[in-house]
Amino acid sequence: MNNYDKLKELLVDVFLLSEEEFRFDLKREEIATWDSMGTVSMAVGVQETFGYHMTPDEAVGVAGVEDIIRILVENGISFEE
Amino acid sequence: MKHSKPYLIRENDVSCNIGRLDEAWEGSPTFLYFSGKSGVPIDWLETKVGLIENEFSEGHFILLTSGSTGRPKLVVGHRRRAERLCGILHELQSSEPVKEAVCLLPLTYCYSFVNQWLWARQFGRSLIMTPGLSEPAEIRTALTHTRDAMLCLVGAQVPLLIRHFPSESFAGIIRVHFAGGRFPQENLSNIKRLFPNAEIYNNYGCAEAMPRLTIRPAKASPEASNIGKPLPGVELKSDEHSRILFRSVFGAVAMIDDTGLSRIANDTWVPTGDLGRPLEDGQWQILGRSNEVFKRYGEKVSIPQVLSTVRDHWDGQADCYRQADPQGEEGYVLVLSPIPINEEVRKLLRRVGGAFSRAHWPLRVEGVTKMPLLPNGKVDRQRLASNDNARIVWHQRL
Repeated sequence: MNNYDKLKELLVDVFLLSEEEFRFDLKREEIATWDSMGTVSMAVGVQETFGYHMTPDEAVGVAGVEDIIRILVENGISFEE
Repeated sequence: MKHSKPYLIRENDVSCNIGRLDEAWEGSPTFLYFSGKSGVPIDWLETKVGLIENEFSEGHFILLTSGSTGRPKLVVGHRRRAERLCGILHELQSSEPVKEAVCLLPLTYCYSFVNQWLWARQFGRSLIMTPGLSEPAEIRTALTHTRDAMLCLVGAQVPLLIRHFPSESFAGIIRVHFAGGRFPQENLSNIKRLFPNAEIYNNYGCAEAMPRLTIRPAKASPEASNIGKPLPGVELKSDEHSRILFRSVFGAVAMIDDTGLSRIANDTWVPTGDLGRPLEDGQWQILGRSNEVFKRYGEKVSIPQVLSTVRDHWDGQADCYRQADPQGEEGYVLVLSPIPINEEVRKLLRRVGGAFSRAHWPLRVEGVTKMPLLPNGKVDRQRLASNDNARIVWHQRL
């Protein structure tokens, strides 16, 4: 399982998405279950899955799935295909 | 003045000879009727009945309850009060055409004791004892052969009835009563299929009420939380915390627990353990057990309300137990049976998420092959919370 798969599995679980709903260009406002506690769950899940601890500012600033990938790549986590 | 200490009657003795209970009722000394499977030590029972005072030593009866608290408690009732309640129930439950009572609950359960055994005794009806839903073949025989009969059930028994009798109907049952927990509104169509000739009632009360406070015919409301109007002789009120309190001319006269004996005077308001509110038409609505409503991240979470949504979308059994999250915030764990697959869980939780914010979601979802049940058919939440075989199928990351 590559990191794209891991991230998809995590976000589908955290935000209770169906497989079909998930896209890597999904924005926060498109996900009804992405509330403030959802942000915390996402950040905790990122740490559990990728070992990277998001700062509160990073977590709150995430506007979509692409931002999560960007933050992880900036912190040395590869998303090469 | 010397008085006799109440004597003890085990459920096993009665199941072998129902006449044992009749003799006790007709005799003068107060007796304690209890289940040998309650797990409460005999020493504890003997010590506690020793606290019975002179005025309660004759003409009363005592039942053992642990309610939802898990702590044993003895409830002392007055026989004439219980008989008067049977008369009221007979009228309000339109029981005159009923000729038999089929018992699927232990008679030590106050609900079954009063609404079935005592009612049958008082109105000269037949009582059909069964071993309960653990023996479906015997239940099938009893339900198939009975005529003009009534059943007293708890909601937790309905999924088992549906599983045991997926396509059968029992035409001889003409009254079905529910009490001892939430009314199984989501399974009403299945209940009507099982018992096509039955009038169905939602009954509300508690052991301290001995046991009935309100009654609602199922057809009178589509809401499971609607418990109907108080019986004549019963008053209800809710306090500033929405706790329901009652006064009843049929209620228990005393309770005995680890703190000792406490009398219940006629003017004493007694908490039922539930939260609720009166509706405009004089009916009452249950908001949940007082220990099932709590604040989480500033939001008022009602486990019964969440469970109601879950049950609308989950065909199996669902229940909860309380637990705090790692931050110390109060929460709960949702338990489903049978064990769901991941997509089923997400689909179900999306329904919950559509109705409630994340603060209301369970800390995690566990799957079990079979819900642990108490002898009275209710889910055993203590065993639910300590089930090593439960499989975690989803968890919140907090």
